[in-house]
Amino acid sequence: MKRPVAVVGVGQTHHTSRRSDVSIPGLVREAVDRALLDAGLEHKDIDAVIIGKAPDMLEGIAQPEQFLAGALGAHLKPLLRVHTAGSVGASTALTAVTHVASGLYDRVLTVAFEKQSEGNAMWALSPNMPFTPPLVAGAGGFFAPYCRAYITKTKCPPHIGPVTAVNARANGALNEYAHLREPVTLDDVMSSPMLWDPIRFGETCPSSDGAIAMILSSADQAKKGPHKPAWVKSGYSYAEAMWVPGRDQVSPAAGRICAKAVYDKAGITDPWKQIDTAEIYVPFAWFEAMWLENLGFCDVGEGWKIIDRGEQKLGAHLPINPSGGVLCTNPIGASGMIRLGEAALQVMGRAGAHQVEGAKTALGHAYGGGAQYFAMWIVSSEE
Amino acid sequence: MTALRNIAIVGFAQLPIVARDEHRMATEMLYPAIRRALADCGVERDDIDYQIAGSTDYMDGRPFGFVAALDVMGSWPARQDLHLEMDAAFCAYYAWVRMQAGECDTALVAAHGKLSEGEPNRVLNLQLDPYYHAAIGLDAASTAALQASAYMARTGTTDRRLAEIAARNRTAGARNSDAQVRAPASADELQHTPWLVEPLRSGYVPPVGETATCLILAAEGKAEKFCDRPVWIHGVDHRTEMQTLGARDLSRSASTQLAAQKAFAMADLARAGDVDVVELSAATPAEELILCDALGLDTHADRPVINPSGGPLCGNPIMMTGGIRLGETFRQLAGRAVGREVHGAARGIAHATQGHCLQHNIVWVVGSERRWS
Repeated sequence: MKRPVAVVGVGQTHHTSRRSDVSIPGLVREAVDRALLDAGLEHKDIDAVIIGKAPDMLEGIAQPEQFLAGALGAHLKPLLRVHTAGSVGASTALTAVTHVASGLYDRVLTVAFEKQSEGNAMWALSPNMPFTPPLVAGAGGFFAPYCRAYITKTKCPPHIGPVTAVNARANGALNEYAHLREPVTLDDVMSSPMLWDPIRFGETCPSSDGAIAMILSSADQAKKGPHKPAWVKSGYSYAEAMWVPGRDQVSPAAGRICAKAVYDKAGITDPWKQIDTAEIYVPFAWFEAMWLENLGFCDVGEGWKIIDRGEQKLGAHLPINPSGGVLCTNPIGASGMIRLGEAALQVMGRAGAHQVEGAKTALGHAYGGGAQYFAMWIVSSEE
Repeated sequence: MTALRNIAIVGFAQLPIVARDEHRMATEMLYPAIRRALADCGVERDDIDYQIAGSTDYMDGRPFGFVAALDVMGSWPARQDLHLEMDAAFCAYYAWVRMQAGECDTALVAAHGKLSEGEPNRVLNLQLDPYYHAAIGLDAASTAALQASAYMARTGTTDRRLAEIAARNRTAGARNSDAQVRAPASADELQHTPWLVEPLRSGYVPPVGETATCLILAAEGKAEKFCDRPVWIHGVDHRTEMQTLGARDLSRSASTQLAAQKAFAMADLARAGDVDVVELSAATPAEELILCDALGLDTHADRPVINPSGGPLCGNPIMMTGGIRLGETFRQLAGRAVGREVHGAARGIAHATQGHCLQHNIVWVVGSERRWS
């Protein structure tokens, strides 16, 4: 990066299954207004807008950023629309970071949203590929074999998924913006219906309506803001091809390469010791153990043991998804940016009831496609 | 303006635009475009730092069409990557921003889309405000006609003038082996084609077309190694407008005007008329006139030459049309516009647009010489 970049404002909606009280522009505008208010800025202070969301089929509007330009305050400003599947919220924020880092823009508004209640996600996420029999099983059907492969490979015991889900829901109960805020018991999860073996109903993310916005700023401007900013230490997005013989789908090379790039740039040599908390993209409970390994927090086969020992809980060594994560809130296109935004709030010390005590360095992570797209950042309380 | 990095377009490849490629999927069309662009530069995929793709799910008729493109972009091992739901020209812009940030020195900009898989005009209806615009059945042809009407009403432009502009593009397109429409047509002929949506005649709009494109960008130091005549980016800016048709003066393009003002300042270009060649993403003759007004171009002058490629009227593969304008400008300045050369071309303007009624516009100023010493 040519110059330092900071997060100076974060705003999100109260995520829920159906926001029938607002239109799509209304939903997006709610997050944007909150981010601007948080940063003590107005639309006139914004130089460019970067927006992301998952497939347009989710709401049935083609390239909706064009229709939303007015609501985003983007009239006569540069506007870019990102789409990198599930990782899009994170890669969108990173695109905004680059805009500020380039020196061409001082303050950039970045936004991500999904209003799943406008359409049918199962349909929209079941692409009919040429020469491939349609699965019509949504993302859960697609990723269940990945989870099964992990379980087989690492001898992960059957309670790890449910334990992960219980912890996520306990955290979500503390987060005023989370969609699912009722804690659940191990028994609740274990006895919930099996949707896509090994993924139970209680181990899967909800379908949410929600939006998040952030303001990224240059150092000069960041210091003028009402709050202590979160400094972006590093951020990268990587992607890899799907049809490569021998590609490790459980722990994709793209994820490991991306993690190494963000750690190297941020000067992190031992993520387990140097990172205080991480917001990682876990749409199905088993992925938490998988990503702990892929992100280099532990060796292969050790991820589930961290969860088994409870070291990922709020108050323990490395709180994972203190916000409740994707398991509590999933407006798909926004979920990645919520991970990055929550990581920023943690190092700003403004995460609320789910604040990790003394968090100085945090990781935000998202993935997408057939576990092919990865986007991450490291944020810090120190410049 | 503080000094920026000198960054050049060093390679461009496209497949000839066709109404429908019966034999290939979008990715099968993209692969040869990428290989040709790399071969042109004499490099391999490993020599490129960054990749970015432009496409839109709705034109592909399925979600995540771009994910499949990873496989033909050489994304192994994993690459630094992004996908924009935008025309290739906007993807190239972000590659340029990334280079300005010092994050990479070289970038591959791919764009793809099988427009023949669906009915683009109907798909473009879904781009509109779902509450007030899409619901009344507006589509790309009817919004373009509204804009043409607004322009003609304000300026007194005649049907004949639109026919002349379309004819000029068609004459040029006949010399472009990548164009879809290669039969020249006279203003008389075009003025006698039936109304599509009045005041636009069928001869004033392009047919559906598809192709795949690949641009390669490189920063100073690498650019000279990739290309014997790099085409340097002197200035670039893009601006959008609110979509609401009734809230905009459709007879003018405020976003193009502002983007041009910013891009010209960056390029130290006093006026658009000082360049040699201009490629505009004008899908109708009325759009060409509106864009020329916004850029400050005299549409009756011999120089600069406007759309020597034939422009979008001779081939309009949505998501790639703007990237092709940038690619064509590169070809002109790099001496590769075989059969349609603008002699002595040393500076050019490339323009791309997205959305209904020229909602979002990007203006590039490029030149044979480096911009910053």
